[in-house]
Amino acid sequence: MNSVGEACTELKREYDQCFNRWFAEKFLKGEGGGDPCGQLFKRYQLCVQKAIKEKDIPIEGLEFMGPSKGKTENSS
Amino acid sequence: HPWETVTTAAMQKYPNPMNPSVVGVDVLDRHIDSSGKLHSHRLLSTEWGIPSIVKSLIGTCRTKTYVQEHSVVDPVEKTMELKSSNISFTNLVSVDERLVYKPHPHEPDKTILTQEAIISVKGVSLSSYLEGLMANTISSNANKGREALEWVINRLNAEIEEFTASARGTMRNSMAAAAFVEK
Repeated sequence: MNSVGEACTELKREYDQCFNRWFAEKFLKGEGGGDPCGQLFKRYQLCVQKAIKEKDIPIEGLEFMGPSKGKTENSS
Repeated sequence: HPWETVTTAAMQKYPNPMNPSVVGVDVLDRHIDSSGKLHSHRLLSTEWGIPSIVKSLIGTCRTKTYVQEHSVVDPVEKTMELKSSNISFTNLVSVDERLVYKPHPHEPDKTILTQEAIISVKGVSLSSYLEGLMANTISSNANKGREALEWVINRLNAEIEEFTASARGTMRNSMAAAAFVEK
């Protein structure tokens, strides 16, 4: 599956692989520990945000936060 | 299939042959809230079969339509809720869908999906015709959605079998067993 930004597809795939594994093997089984894919997500996110701005996609009301519990903030 | 299997498949629903118009999926935000539920905001890009003459007039960059999806997965209560709405053409039409996956109350190896859609067409005189058309499409899509997840589940199980056959690694037993349960 591709990303909205063509350049982000590889970053997306890496993140998705990490996330899907954690989701099925840890999260759904109620195991603690947060999402371990933070770094991958940040890199992927930066790329996506740029693509969204470039393509002028009307996303409203979303704060582009990292995968943590709301403590990190992205500055662009 | 059990709720865990369906939820895992729903997270990886695209691409699948039943939804060929979905060409891109991106995660805009993902976080676990204070009660342990996973929230994901995703952007779906869809490409409809727009005639090439239209594309040449408006430019290929503008033939994609976008949908915003917010999902919440509660691993304790075992519910997955997805809400999506279009963010393209909102001046013409709004399509809001809500899907909820929960374990079957009496049969733990099955999952129940409730799905609703609210469609409104704005300022167009053919509104009742268009609303009817979209309602039909959405209800046939509901069945397609089930087939799509079935396809994804089979694909995931095939990947697992391939993995175990070649690597003799640990298996995700619950998923493999679920594939063989009579639905």
